[in-house]
Amino acid sequence: MKHFVSRRNMLATVGGAIAGLVSLVAARTARGAVKKILVATNAPQDYDPHQHKWLMCFDVDKCIGCGLCVDACKTENHVPQGPTYFRTWIERYLIRKPQPGSGVTRGEVIVDSPNGGRDGFPPPTVPREEILKSFFVPKLCNLCERSPCTQVCPVGATFDAPDGAVLVDPNYCIGCGFCIQACPYGCRFLNPETKTAEKCTLCYHRITRGLKPACVEICPTEARIFGDVKHPVENDPIQAFIQKNKVFSLKPHLGTDPRTLYANLDKEVR
Amino acid sequence: MVRPKMPPQIFRLVLLTLAIVVTYIIARYLLTPASFRQYGFYRGEALAEHASHTPVFAGRKACLECHEDIQAKLFKGEHKTIGCETCHGVGKEHADNPDVKLVKIGDNGCLRCHEASPSRPAWLKQINPKNHYREDKCVSCHVPHQPNEVP
Repeated sequence: MKHFVSRRNMLATVGGAIAGLVSLVAARTARGAVKKILVATNAPQDYDPHQHKWLMCFDVDKCIGCGLCVDACKTENHVPQGPTYFRTWIERYLIRKPQPGSGVTRGEVIVDSPNGGRDGFPPPTVPREEILKSFFVPKLCNLCERSPCTQVCPVGATFDAPDGAVLVDPNYCIGCGFCIQACPYGCRFLNPETKTAEKCTLCYHRITRGLKPACVEICPTEARIFGDVKHPVENDPIQAFIQKNKVFSLKPHLGTDPRTLYANLDKEVR
Repeated sequence: MVRPKMPPQIFRLVLLTLAIVVTYIIARYLLTPASFRQYGFYRGEALAEHASHTPVFAGRKACLECHEDIQAKLFKGEHKTIGCETCHGVGKEHADNPDVKLVKIGDNGCLRCHEASPSRPAWLKQINPKNHYREDKCVSCHVPHQPNEVP
């Protein structure tokens, strides 16, 4: 068998291949540029994620369980309706009095969160005389420094932003749900419409514009305190909160190093 | 001295390896998003995409631009920690265009926070709606902006 490639054919093939490559690269660059313009029109320009480090604090003694934060979060972030889709929610802890002579300090612990606390809480099923104590705990993404959810993502669609927010890239999320299982705090869910994982973004579109997250803005008792620890302002509420209170994090034994801090936390809270 | 000639099968293998490596490099270049590694091992554009959503709640500062008198009164009383939109609802449209009126608050708006519950902290003033005056509206006896005063 005789192999023969004419000079003309060879040049045409090589030239075509090079032209194809160049046009592909050009198309990719152009697409990137167009996308950047489209995105840049709406996103704030002067926000540098390296210049901020956000921190969220809760004062459990101040939470009155009105559930307005849950409602505000759903409105602000267009979170799907339905009782299992929450970026933030309120839990009611109810600790019964111990049986006489049982030798323990507290009885059964009942935790409930009807519709995430969005419509408020119905009267507890336990009569008032049998309650040792009861309180509300607001929950959201714990903003872990060593986040388990970002470590398990097989496509790198979720990540820790330099400013401390843990975000999901909805364009790259394949909806496998590994991160939802990995989160020890149950802060993620699968959006039924987009079929991608979703979570608290700290209202990223608000904090980049100098606004507070919706739940912090709406909370009537300042049970949620939010601020930047890299650039504290004058009379910074977050610095005052950390000076005044002894703060705890949830599930510290897991080593996730959360950046949501709780004051006046009970040991039963998980 | 005669130089040892490269056997043709080895030459073909070298060509094949080179082709695979070059194809990999080109594919990686084409498939990696432009803003990858801008901040870390992910697409940096995703941050801007999250930031590009439009805020729904206007925020206290926006209300202060026109309603400074009400806020000055509010800041004296016990309701000073409450944001405007907590009771008055989403105010973005009203802030952008004052002709758009805010939705009126329902009469039971106060009960959302002030209904008695054993789970609520003791410092919060709570009422039991069954044995509290229910003939009238809350606002006929209480002033929401100055809760310490009597009308």
